[in-house]
Amino acid sequence: MWFKSSARNAPILGDFEQLVLLGVLRLASDASGAAIRHEIHERSGRDVSINAVYTTLDRLEGKRLLRSSVGDPTPERGGRRRKFYALTPAGTAALKQAYRGFAAMAEGFESVLSTQ
Amino acid sequence: MTPEPPRLAVWLLTHWLADEWADFVVGDMEEEFARRARLSQASARAWFWRAALRCLIAPPPLGRHTEQLHVSPPAGDPAVRTLLADVAYSLRVLLRAPSFSLAVIAVLALGIGANTAIFSIVNTVLLRPLPYRNSARLVRIFHTPPAATFPGIKRFSVSPANFYDWKRETTGVDNMAIYQYRPFTIAAGGRADAVLGGAVGDGFFDIVGMPAALGRTFRADEDSPGRDRVVVLSDGFWRTRFAADRNVVGKTVTLSDEVFTIVGVMPQRFSMKTWGIAGVDLWVPVAYNDEARAIRDNHNAAVVARLKPGVDVAAANAELSAVSVRLEAAYPQANAGWGAVVIPLQEVLVGDARTPLLILLAAVGLVLLIACANVGNLLFARALGRRKELAIRAALGAGRGRVFQQILVETLVLACAGGAAGVLLARVALQVGASILAANQVPRADEIAVDGSVLLFALVLSLLTGVLAGAVPAFRAGRADLNDALKEGGRSDAGSVGVRTRRLLIVCEVALSVMLLMGAGLMIRTLSALRSVEAGYDPANVLTMTTRLPETRYKTPAQVSAYYQAALDKVRALPGVESAGAIDDLPTQGGSVQPIVLEGHAELLPRDQPTVEVRKIAPDYLKTMRIPILRGRDVAANDTDAMLVSRSAAKLLWGDRDPIGTRVTLPLQSKTRQSTIVGIVGDVKQGELSGAAGAAVYEFTHEHDWRGMNFAIRTTVPPQSIAPSAVAALRSLDAEQPIEQVRTMNAIVDETLTSQRFSALLLGIFAGVALVLASVGIFSVLSYIVRGRSREIGIRTALGAGTADVVRLVMVEGMTPALAGIAAGAVGVLVSAKLLQRMVYGVSGSDPLTLGAVSLTLALVALAASLVPAYRACRLDPLEVLRAE
Repeated sequence: MWFKSSARNAPILGDFEQLVLLGVLRLASDASGAAIRHEIHERSGRDVSINAVYTTLDRLEGKRLLRSSVGDPTPERGGRRRKFYALTPAGTAALKQAYRGFAAMAEGFESVLSTQ
Repeated sequence: MTPEPPRLAVWLLTHWLADEWADFVVGDMEEEFARRARLSQASARAWFWRAALRCLIAPPPLGRHTEQLHVSPPAGDPAVRTLLADVAYSLRVLLRAPSFSLAVIAVLALGIGANTAIFSIVNTVLLRPLPYRNSARLVRIFHTPPAATFPGIKRFSVSPANFYDWKRETTGVDNMAIYQYRPFTIAAGGRADAVLGGAVGDGFFDIVGMPAALGRTFRADEDSPGRDRVVVLSDGFWRTRFAADRNVVGKTVTLSDEVFTIVGVMPQRFSMKTWGIAGVDLWVPVAYNDEARAIRDNHNAAVVARLKPGVDVAAANAELSAVSVRLEAAYPQANAGWGAVVIPLQEVLVGDARTPLLILLAAVGLVLLIACANVGNLLFARALGRRKELAIRAALGAGRGRVFQQILVETLVLACAGGAAGVLLARVALQVGASILAANQVPRADEIAVDGSVLLFALVLSLLTGVLAGAVPAFRAGRADLNDALKEGGRSDAGSVGVRTRRLLIVCEVALSVMLLMGAGLMIRTLSALRSVEAGYDPANVLTMTTRLPETRYKTPAQVSAYYQAALDKVRALPGVESAGAIDDLPTQGGSVQPIVLEGHAELLPRDQPTVEVRKIAPDYLKTMRIPILRGRDVAANDTDAMLVSRSAAKLLWGDRDPIGTRVTLPLQSKTRQSTIVGIVGDVKQGELSGAAGAAVYEFTHEHDWRGMNFAIRTTVPPQSIAPSAVAALRSLDAEQPIEQVRTMNAIVDETLTSQRFSALLLGIFAGVALVLASVGIFSVLSYIVRGRSREIGIRTALGAGTADVVRLVMVEGMTPALAGIAAGAVGVLVSAKLLQRMVYGVSGSDPLTLGAVSLTLALVALAASLVPAYRACRLDPLEVLRAE
């Protein structure tokens, strides 16, 4: 059907998904759930719950936008393991597309938007 | 020390989350906790709990995508996991619609709470055993009087001689004891107080099966004259009179001028108000002398017994009957026609309350059914609103059973919340009720409480309610047509789906309301019928009070007679007093039934000798109570042995002949003393107001001693207002003489109606709740239908339909199921009329007038509930409606 062609493009990201992917991008090799949550809180002021972060990470992984690996147990985590995330090429593409759209729409209004 | 996160929360998380998540999530949380704890440990803990609860309610999904992890199957039984997931999901769904959830919980709390409260009463009164050892084996033994001469009387007190023969000749009874009430006076600070004592025969406390809390109960040898100056105190009496003195045993107490040694104190749980003898202040041995033991024809005592293990009531009855037949043959003069009957103690105490309580339980059950219908209605509306969600679930592969289960779980969660709120409501209601309920309205009222079995009842009830209210909506939801639902998705509640089911719910609600309203209406009519019943006397403006003259100070009948003469003269002289008289037993308060023998006739065997109610009066009693003198005259102070007979006694004993001037004997009192009939008076209901007025005689004599008498004082002012001066007048005559039970005759009569008033009050409340629920139900269904048909209404208006047409359309929609419900309810009333008949008086269980009023009320309520939706329908703007489509 006609709309199938759009499937070749990267999937459209939700607002929170964008924040999470940007978090992974910023943190690079340190992108664990707690760190991503902290980064989002620090930068955007949104205090999101851990389960919401993991639910989103899991969904993004399911869409093959992220991949994950499990680290070794550390004592400051009560001997628990940490899970690290990294962007896949598809993830980077999706983020790029989202940014492109956003930047294109915001172009020329940077001063208006930033004062708000 | 490094702070640790709450262990319980960690434990819950690690057990609840899928294994693969537990490490990551809990690890993250511990890390953050450590960071926050450096600032404030308390807020860190609070944060940890908050985060943990969020994870518990909405855990991250199973990591189906993380192939590099080893995925173990979820722990636990898959059915349980699904159920738990459903519960968690339900909680989220219900929290998302708090007003809907609260409405449902409130309705269910009302229904379950009312049921729990009534069940608490039923549980205590009818189901819970008496507080005595093996109380199922405790029985009372009564005489059964000859049916012909004691019409309508099924149980009678026992005579001592027969009791001792029963005790000797029966084998199925472990032990039996005789007892009586014995009033005492006790000196207290210059005046005397009346206390009620029990005179109990040998073995009484052993039979009941409770040892003394302090000291001992009576020894066998103390049940004989001369050795009987010993007393056992009740817990309450010990606390109020002896300040709970633990060294009270061995001390003495003066009762009615005689000195008794205290030998024991009974525990508090022995005192049971409902069983009179266990509720008295103190007990003494009955200690009959030989003469008293030989009395066979005067039945004034009560008997309690314990059956042997393995002997049931029927076997004991058979044995007592056989013994009675032998005694009848051996002593025909006293026993001809007298039998015996064994009745479980619990049955004696609570038997009368059974029917009203079960009817109340049935009524409150109807309230719950109405609540279920209402909740079903609400759920139904909601399920329709959620059709899209459910259809998507189905499209994603959820089977019908799965959707059914999920909706049902939601209802059950609601029902359990409603049940918990209901139990709280019931506790409050019982606490409030206990302060209103007099102990004599319901037997064992002082014991009523919410206990384990009540909680179990509430739980089972909640689950049943959930299933009942949720089944139809859940079934319909499971059956919904996918295509339809998805197509209609935009207009989620349009269409006619489910309207028929909801109409049916309205029919049920209205029908059940009719039945409840009918019950309440009948009880109110019963009350008013009993209030206005022609009892034969005028209780308004009459003050009554009781005295009991002790033999130690009033030794001869002449002294007794002189006291009452002087007392009445003093009272009559008080301002505001119109007249004053006295009688041994006031109407509704019981009294003596005795054989009566006309002059010139021989005394027949008891089964043939007519009996009458016998009351002893002082002059002016009839005038005071406004009992009419039909012929002859009242008794006068200068009469000796005069008697008045009631109209029905005259008819029973003399037929068409004139009794005035003839003489009679009352052989139970004296075989030789004759009384002369001086007048015929109106009939009076001596017993219950709902009973018949029996044959009665009123005797006036100086010879016979009247120990306890009730003064009746007719006043020209409000009767309570002269109470202080009347009591003072009697005290001035004898300061040591206690004056008891100062109350109005109206209050006495009212007290006999308490059980009817209790039923009327509760049925009224239930009916009110039913009416509100039914009207809310009609309103919500109609509103829904109007919304669903707004397009149709808009088109009709656009095509020229007037306001009246639209109103008619909506009214017909609302009134059709309501009228069908009224008809169904009327059928229900007619079917259950027989049951109601047992509770009502002066009105038929299917009284057409009440039924008509009830039907009209419901029709009006349905009409009122239809008005707002009808008004809304009229206000619909056709343009807007059509454009919206």
